[in-house]
Amino acid sequence: MQAAIGDRIVIKGHHIGEPDRDCEVLEVRGADGGPPYLVRWEQDGHEALFFPGSDAAVRPYGQTAT
Amino acid sequence: MRIIEATRRSGIAITPDKTVRGAALVMEQAGVGALAIIDAERVVGIVTDRDLVRRAVSPGLPLDVRIDSVMTAPVVTVDADADLGEAVALFRSHKVRRLAVVRNEKFVGMITVDDLLIDVIALLPDLLRPVRSEIFKSSAPRSDTSNGLTPEIESPGYQIETAEQGEGP
Repeated sequence: MQAAIGDRIVIKGHHIGEPDRDCEVLEVRGADGGPPYLVRWEQDGHEALFFPGSDAAVRPYGQTAT
Repeated sequence: MRIIEATRRSGIAITPDKTVRGAALVMEQAGVGALAIIDAERVVGIVTDRDLVRRAVSPGLPLDVRIDSVMTAPVVTVDADADLGEAVALFRSHKVRRLAVVRNEKFVGMITVDDLLIDVIALLPDLLRPVRSEIFKSSAPRSDTSNGLTPEIESPGYQIETAEQGEGP
């Protein structure tokens, strides 16, 4: 996975009825846009390091959710 | 299969100075039940939602205590490029439900028992194929040769698909 500052990462819900999660990339800690990413969760502003699995996808900055 | 290929869920990590309340909020927002605690790219602990209940909330700790005071350490780790069987052995020997996945001693993700169950379920049809074949063989009607007669057998009206032992998928 490759991401840039300002991109959003969407994590698919793991169970039926569980909503997708969404966070903003604040820093790219890996080489060439690779992980890990310092991200901020939208609703409360808490930050964490994100190591993407196959449940995650990048939504480039400015691109709206489909 | 390599462990990194079976790691489906994204790994979420926080630093040791994060508070218990901060960790709980990250878990809630990220939709995960466990966080890795990372210091200088090395995993130094794991904290689960159950840890927060048992070690912080239930004993009445203030929610602003550091997360490293309630985390589990040391952490059982597994190499990202190791075979999946190694994770199975570690789950069994350490009696844990999550393993920190590392590469060059740096945290890259978390693998859970649930991840392995998904793979096992996907393999079930192949694992059951020889067993199913044996069951249908043993229950199939046999010719009665004691009197030299072959009894008439009615067709069941449907076809049973069988496979020989060792046949590939």
